[in-house]
Amino acid sequence: MAHAVISCLHANLAALEAVLADIDQQGIDTITCLGDLVGYGPQPNEVVNLVRERQIPTCQGCWDEDIIEGLNACDCSYPSQLAERRGQLAHQWTADQLSEENRAFLASLPMSLWRDRQLFVHGSPNSQHEYLLPDMDAFAALERVESAGAETLFCGHTHRPYVRELRDGSIRVRVRQTPGEPAGVAEAEDRELRLPLRRIINAGSVGEPRHGNTHATYVIHHEDTNAVEIREVPYDVERTCRAIVDAGLPPIFAWRLRHGFEYAERADDASHVCER
Amino acid sequence: MSQTLLISGPPGCGKTTWILNRIQSHSGPCGFLRLAGYPDEGLLQARDGGIDLAWLQDQCPGLLDLAEPDQALAPRPANLLALIELPQFQPPTDSGLAGVDRRVIPQLEALHLSPDEHLHFGRDHLLPRQDTLDFSSLQALERNLAGSVWDPASLSSFWFELVNGAYGDVYRAKALMNLPDGRAFFCNWMVSREGSQFLPLQTTASPDGRPQRLSRLVVQGKDLDPAAIEVTLADCLLSDALLELEQARLRQQEAPSHPSPAA
Repeated sequence: MAHAVISCLHANLAALEAVLADIDQQGIDTITCLGDLVGYGPQPNEVVNLVRERQIPTCQGCWDEDIIEGLNACDCSYPSQLAERRGQLAHQWTADQLSEENRAFLASLPMSLWRDRQLFVHGSPNSQHEYLLPDMDAFAALERVESAGAETLFCGHTHRPYVRELRDGSIRVRVRQTPGEPAGVAEAEDRELRLPLRRIINAGSVGEPRHGNTHATYVIHHEDTNAVEIREVPYDVERTCRAIVDAGLPPIFAWRLRHGFEYAERADDASHVCER
Repeated sequence: MSQTLLISGPPGCGKTTWILNRIQSHSGPCGFLRLAGYPDEGLLQARDGGIDLAWLQDQCPGLLDLAEPDQALAPRPANLLALIELPQFQPPTDSGLAGVDRRVIPQLEALHLSPDEHLHFGRDHLLPRQDTLDFSSLQALERNLAGSVWDPASLSSFWFELVNGAYGDVYRAKALMNLPDGRAFFCNWMVSREGSQFLPLQTTASPDGRPQRLSRLVVQGKDLDPAAIEVTLADCLLSDALLELEQARLRQQEAPSHPSPAA
């Protein structure tokens, strides 16, 4: 059995329609969405409506959360004043457009979804705002998966799809006896814990690709073989760009999307832990 | 023995860089003059506004500004190398001094300057020619940024968008930009070259308010969108409050962590 995982739709209807058509064409009927249905893009209601119509299990992304609760992320969300101003403008526009029904839907989304020992989150198990970048410290990456009790962690948020296998991991700890322990016990003891294979699978982005071209990305997980396929789907980028301009959003958003650049720069500090 | 050179060429061909190298290799006093140049059919000259002079004077302390009337009347030092930069789209029809655009002669005479040699990029082999482009149409956009200070990460994003075509087809962009820590950068880009130059000025201001030095953006290209540039500039430049916040942090970092013992 295969299932598809999509993320970071960002109100880009043309991209979502193309990705769903690609999934349908392969006969896959199990889809999981990792959030960020809205933000920056010009069709927030249309995208939410389509996800609801298709009854796609979805967890809440950082943009979905911000639209409900207001902007209160820490510095990691915006690496520059320019990105922050543009993000705030997009936030206000989206908040003004979103119907009450769709707002309630976003508010109802869970932080995470589980299927067996597969965990689905937007950013990390800690926060929708935390980036699990492909080159983050291996120990920190392993900690995120292991402490959540998952074997495989599906995430998005970085907009760059990747599969990272964390194998041959071990943790060496020194256990020190506390005062009052029975005499004759060694004061300190080294213990080494072997950790089993863990995987992080990032689904990339449907609506705001950041992997070097304009194609929408998502992943297919073949559960029988455990193989993961990163899919790139071309879509009608110009249709979304026209909609951005027609909606009155900044034309620079259309220019960035058309050239395969993200709307706002990503946070590059892989060691940063969101303080939100 | 003094020498006066007139260096002409189209935008971005490397006139100022070549002049900087000549000045740095000259052991005696040097002077610089930048003429405005003239528009050609469909080709507008950009008003440099002093960027080249400010950059050269930063890199070469003591460089004389030959545009100053006092300099024109003062006795010239012996062994002076006077370099005159002239933006000029089309190659001269005649070789050598006979090819000097006649319209600049009165300006030069008023400043008591008489070129000994005229070199034009793309024509004279003494100058590099790999960056010389043939323009058919060119708009110009200038923005005075005096007193403006950039959020550094926003400057990086804006420049990336600018030179990659977000605000029109840019052929040439240069600027002097201020950062909150008191540094300033000469930003330089040309369509025929790979990558941008971000060259720090040697003179820095203290991180205390808005610097008084020249700051300016000059862009040449086609279908330029000044309104969109203005929108982005407004989102990139620091307000008084944010500038003070950033500079207070920098001043605190610079302050000695332990008070020195009283004498």
